[in-house]
Amino acid sequence: MTDPILKATGITRIYPGGTVANDGVNLTVRPGEVHAVVGENGAGKSTLMKVLFGLEKPDAGSLTVNGQKVDFTGPKDAIEAGIGMVFQHFSLVPSFSVYENVVLGSEPAKGISFDRAKAIATVRELSQKFRLTVDPLPAVRRLPVGQQQRVEILKALYRDAQILILDEPTAVLAPQEVEELFTAIRALTAQGRTVIFIAHKLPEVLEISDRITVMRGGKTVGEVETKDVDESSLAAMMVGREVSLRVDRAATTGERALEVKNLRLVAGNGVTLADDLTLNVHHGEILGLVGVEGNGQAELLEAIAGLRPVAGGSLTLQGTPLDELTVLERRDRGLASIPEDRIAQGLATGASVAENLAATRLDDPRFVRRGILNLKGIRDNAVALIDRFSIRVGGPDVDVGTLSGGNMQKVVVARELSEQPQILLVNQPTRGVDLGATQFIWKSITDARDGGAAVLLSSADLQELLALSDRLVVFYRGRIVAAFVNHAELTSETLGAYMLGIETQTPEAMAGAMR
Amino acid sequence: MTDLLEVVFSATFLITVIRASTPLLFATLGGLISDLGGALNVALEGMMLIAALTAVVVSVYAPWYVGVVAGMGAGAALGAIMALFHLRYKADVILVGFAVNILAAGGTVFALSLATGGDKGTSINLQSKAIPSIDIPAFEGIPVLNFFTGHSALSWLAALSVAGIWYFLYRTPRGMWLRGVGEYPAAPEAAGIGVNAVRAWSLVASGALAGLGGAQLAMFNYIGFTRDMTAGRGFIALGAVLLGARHPVGAMLAALLFGLFEALSIVMPGIFSWIPGELVQTIPFVVTLLALILFSYRTQRAERTLS
Ligand SMILES: Nc1ncnc2c1ncn2[C@@H]1O[C@H](COP(=O)(O)OP(=O)(O)OP(=O)(O)O)[C@@H](O)[C@H]1O
Ligand SMILES: [Mg+2]
Repeated sequence: MTDPILKATGITRIYPGGTVANDGVNLTVRPGEVHAVVGENGAGKSTLMKVLFGLEKPDAGSLTVNGQKVDFTGPKDAIEAGIGMVFQHFSLVPSFSVYENVVLGSEPAKGISFDRAKAIATVRELSQKFRLTVDPLPAVRRLPVGQQQRVEILKALYRDAQILILDEPTAVLAPQEVEELFTAIRALTAQGRTVIFIAHKLPEVLEISDRITVMRGGKTVGEVETKDVDESSLAAMMVGREVSLRVDRAATTGERALEVKNLRLVAGNGVTLADDLTLNVHHGEILGLVGVEGNGQAELLEAIAGLRPVAGGSLTLQGTPLDELTVLERRDRGLASIPEDRIAQGLATGASVAENLAATRLDDPRFVRRGILNLKGIRDNAVALIDRFSIRVGGPDVDVGTLSGGNMQKVVVARELSEQPQILLVNQPTRGVDLGATQFIWKSITDARDGGAAVLLSSADLQELLALSDRLVVFYRGRIVAAFVNHAELTSETLGAYMLGIETQTPEAMAGAMR
Repeated sequence: MTDLLEVVFSATFLITVIRASTPLLFATLGGLISDLGGALNVALEGMMLIAALTAVVVSVYAPWYVGVVAGMGAGAALGAIMALFHLRYKADVILVGFAVNILAAGGTVFALSLATGGDKGTSINLQSKAIPSIDIPAFEGIPVLNFFTGHSALSWLAALSVAGIWYFLYRTPRGMWLRGVGEYPAAPEAAGIGVNAVRAWSLVASGALAGLGGAQLAMFNYIGFTRDMTAGRGFIALGAVLLGARHPVGAMLAALLFGLFEALSIVMPGIFSWIPGELVQTIPFVVTLLALILFSYRTQRAERTLS
């Protein structure tokens, strides 16, 4: 057996406030392997990685790199020891170009000046060597997330990282981008680099990793060879019980709730985002919006929520034209929305859990009486919802921003589903969310459906769409190109062919699935 | 009207404009550096005031350039104090800035009366020195070339600073760090850059530049110190940073614009007796407001086109 390249022993990290995020964690990584770290939301994976990268100082425990004991005071030390990290939330300067971001912190210089030509050439060279194609010149804010992630990886490789930590790299990627990332990871290990990989989707973990460390509640509960496990045994290790992700179809569907007729959506610069969208959603059903990101699904949801102007066509909610209603009036009529980006759109990260849970219902006498906040009412509401939605948090007064990704998502779900909605808009409900929480969120969505909500669901995860939807419509270049009633034989391959515009459905076939 | 045009296009008027612009330009550059680093220095006003008094008092006993360096040092020291409270003790940078301003307003009057032996208004009975102007006799009286003579040595330094700061910001690694720290601190932090160290240096540099502005004000524009002699220039500078699109060349143009109106407010009442000088002096503020509205409207539109 080869000596480990990285070894963490007995790492303990207690955050101010008392959360024990790591409790005697052990991790052993061998050179040249892809080592996955899995565990539920809040298990302490990101914290452990931050310790490895010198961003958090462990309260106890020791680290060795290549057999040498190390003691990091900051990322600088970790970088020098050959460790690179790509964060769950990227750390790129948006207005800087790709090459500027890559070299930031250790720039090539000519005299006192920054040597741009050399920086560009180095970035080109690196991106060829490791098969991470990206143009060095444009500003990173103009790049799609998949490319931004490559910039992050290049950043680490530029600093000659021998060990690369990827914290949930696939959570933000479309399926094709995941494949490209895996190609790059294989190119890296083929050249002797070591990769530590965190993900919630077990099929991904099983595909890419050589060994797996499982964490639960801040502790390591096991280390296994990937070839010795399968999805269900791994899931059981993670959660500590059997998990099944089966969902029941809608029993009956009710009346027409929302009508979308010939809808046209246009961006601020005049580009058409969606055109000629016609569909109906009924009470008690989930309609899945299928499509590669950027083909109009998210924009349709925004238009229904009232966040985007309508350029043509109509939206009708139970007989009332929607375009005359403000966002608040739409919410009063029972519209609820779980947005794509929980940090930017779903939550106020600087406010407490209790405040976030009451924020959308400030006309409720339980929360506001005679124009004054009823703090006790807001707190009681939070205590009840934390319990009902099993949100893992220290208490109702904790800042939402310090919660783990999955628990933040549960706060959004709890707020939106605490009262039975009439129309529910859902976009990427389980991005970065663990198995147990995914199961819970799926259940919450289907419960809302069974309570009579008309649900529109968009997701980059086809398995999720196939598991939850009663009917599906496929978007391609801003138009609906296919429609299906969900059934057991419908596969992601079939959907994929329509998503990529390879196949198109006849108008008759489409009409058959349009109620 | 022709009187006004004659005055405006004369070499003396240009010299007045440059003279009025110089303290503002230093302060604007100081504001720019701190703003780009993400720790906006709202204490420019107080720093200029303290630096002006320091420069005046030191120049009584030492050559003029020692006075200037002392003013600059006073500004830099105040910048370091701000950095200490903001970065080490985590106080809000705006509050710390206002504390410096309030301290400066009262403290300079107190220090002035100590230095002059009781005068709380001016330093008129102190023999303070002036910054020399750079006169080039050969250029005198020759059209165009005569624009380049008769300016304060610090005006030339200010012009050089614009070029120097531009080069620093856009052509050197450290300038890149500063811009990165201001825009998205998590990125430089992850790259192993000491974000607080960068911010601390930006506040020190900002203070030093404001200090140069104060020295110019009390050793060239006026000779000697008067209470509240900065008269809001430190705050105008903050507006000039934004008006100049957070770019050193823009900062220079903005400072010149404000300098132009200050110069006009000096000459116009002499020509049109019915226009109060104060009214002319309000023009730059109105212009800033309009410019800022226009500016934010344009960025908003640009952002909308992007998405
Ligand atoms: N800065 C912080 N301050 C206080 N508590 C924190 C902080 N960061 C994380 N925590 C807490 O520490 C625990 C572990 O969090 P961590 O982010 O390491 O989990 P994770 O395994 O990465 O979860 P996820 O899969 O959701 O990303 C959680 O309970 C979280 O709320
Ligand atoms: Mg995490």
